[in-house]
Amino acid sequence: MNWKKFFTAFMAAFIFLFVFGFLWYGTLMRGAHEEVQALFRTKPDFPWLILGHIVMAFFFTMLCVRFVPAGGLGASATLGILVGLVYAGPHLISFAVQPLTTKILGGWIAGAVIQFAVAGAIVGAIYKPSSPATSRH
Amino acid sequence: MKRFIIAFIAAYVFIFVWGWLLNGVLLKDVYAQTPNLWRSQSEMMSLFHWILIGQALVIFAFVMIYASGFAGGGVIAGIRLGILLEIAAIGMRLAIYAIQPFPGKLIVYGSVSGLIEMVIVGAIVGAIYKPASARTP
Repeated sequence: MNWKKFFTAFMAAFIFLFVFGFLWYGTLMRGAHEEVQALFRTKPDFPWLILGHIVMAFFFTMLCVRFVPAGGLGASATLGILVGLVYAGPHLISFAVQPLTTKILGGWIAGAVIQFAVAGAIVGAIYKPSSPATSRH
Repeated sequence: MKRFIIAFIAAYVFIFVWGWLLNGVLLKDVYAQTPNLWRSQSEMMSLFHWILIGQALVIFAFVMIYASGFAGGGVIAGIRLGILLEIAAIGMRLAIYAIQPFPGKLIVYGSVSGLIEMVIVGAIVGAIYKPASARTP
């Protein structure tokens, strides 16, 4: 594994996931969340939010690197869409057990798929394993 | 395709039973500590189909990822995929904990059980699904 590129890809994925989350869930969906205020904290607990995104970005990058060892934007974005669908499933389950609105459900599902598709594309564009020719010389 | 469907059904049956045992039986008292965060029992039952669809989506996307990238690796590759997906999901769970006032122990129990669940799902899918080339002598 090319650890330098892995680390760069992880950092880029982390920054994207965090900024996208802030814009999508924290800004665009703020009104929808305020409709069911009792389900949310008055202020996000930032240390947990940051740690969560670090863990998410690290292991998603690891998944992309293992799944698409040759790198590449398209293949990694496709993987990101599938990962987004894996995480969209629990949102549907949350909708069944928590008094969330359909607006929140739709926003969370779309957010998960877009977020991981783009994060996958970013990782795929950055991470390229060392070519055999390069490593021999 | 046949093995894809068999792997999907086997893993789906497992997560349905696991989810019921865990959330419906073992963690019932933990959920009862925060009744304001959950729908009433009758509401949940009327939305039960969303739980079935959510679980189906998780398993469908999991088998798709396995079939298109990890196929041929058998049980170990399936388990590896399950672990990577679930640890990234634990990151997502921490981010959700940062914005929703869930009890901390619900996050811990959910993460530990989620890891066990995805390891078993990976083992089931890896044991059943074989790529076409691996089946051909």
